[in-house]
Amino acid sequence: MDKELEHKFVTELETNQNIVHKICRLYTNDKDSHNDLFQEITIQLWRAYPKFRGDSKFSTWMYRVALNTAITLYRKSKRRVKTQDFEGVSFKISSEDYDDTVEEQLKLMYAAVKDLNDIEKALVFLYLEDKNYKEISATLGISEVNSRVKMNRIKVKLRNVLNP
Amino acid sequence: MDELDLLKSQWQTREHQFPVLSFNDIYKMLLKKSSSIVKWIFIISIGELLFWTILAFLVPESSKSFMTEMGMDTVFLIINIVNYTVFAFFILLFWKNHKRIQVTDSVKELMENILKTRKTVKYFVIYNVSTAVSLMVGVNIFYYLNKEALAAAVQKSSLDYNAVPPEIFTKMFFIGQIVGGIIMVAFVLLFYFLVYGFLLKRLKRNYYELEKMEM
Repeated sequence: MDKELEHKFVTELETNQNIVHKICRLYTNDKDSHNDLFQEITIQLWRAYPKFRGDSKFSTWMYRVALNTAITLYRKSKRRVKTQDFEGVSFKISSEDYDDTVEEQLKLMYAAVKDLNDIEKALVFLYLEDKNYKEISATLGISEVNSRVKMNRIKVKLRNVLNP
Repeated sequence: MDELDLLKSQWQTREHQFPVLSFNDIYKMLLKKSSSIVKWIFIISIGELLFWTILAFLVPESSKSFMTEMGMDTVFLIINIVNYTVFAFFILLFWKNHKRIQVTDSVKELMENILKTRKTVKYFVIYNVSTAVSLMVGVNIFYYLNKEALAAAVQKSSLDYNAVPPEIFTKMFFIGQIVGGIIMVAFVLLFYFLVYGFLLKRLKRNYYELEKMEM
């Protein structure tokens, strides 16, 4: 039974691993921390999995656990000196399209999102994942109105960062 | 189009640029140990509990006979019983709060439950430090009021104070007690300041951010 559950869980996570990777990328700055956080999220997901009853999609259920781990449970390791930033991997600029302004803008935008605080990042992440405000507010535990207000403020903030 | 919406439009299509972990990679992760702050708070709390409990058992024989000599063993027995009852209450409360921590709760609920658990430990610490301090003060007042008995008890015990004249001895004794007490309290406070400050700084900051949104 346990083996069966394990197999089911790992398969589901394997399919949906991108969600976790995206969160890890947003909340960490180097490869080791990314892997560290991925592992911690995996452990937390696995622990909570027996209580997952399948009344929502596995991916939907994952958001909460993964974000909770990234924001609250994960202990940023201090022992590592910040190694090379590898955010370029997600929005890679190859030499031929370097002049592409859209690409450049995306990179700036992503960097600006990464500079937000942990909570704002979670809001923006869920927004980018196309979650509605009802889901966003339920995940964070704040009211729908307040998450909408906050999101608008973040948009203004990001606009100001990019167009000073 | 909003800048953020530009990013959003690209967000889903670029997913393939992330590393891909195999079934086995993920499977291996299940066997690894968690290093979440909840786990650390739990371990440290259990450690504290053991520390204070063992400390109570580690009173050296010479001190015990010294206390008997001063006629204080009954008082200490009562204090110990009360102490362990309170400890048991704290363990129970801590356990209940710890159980309530669920990673599937909303971000805010999770934070609240962790902070609540931490508060139990904080009160536990306040209790321990204040009992230690008031015991220290109480015992020393008692010693002070019974200077002769103290000197006699010291002479009888194996402590090497016999060569010191009684007048100077009394002074030395109390200064020693006060300095020892201050060092102990400072050490304990520093420990908690470091441990919990380090573990909970980020959580508190994020909780404050969420609270701010609701204002």
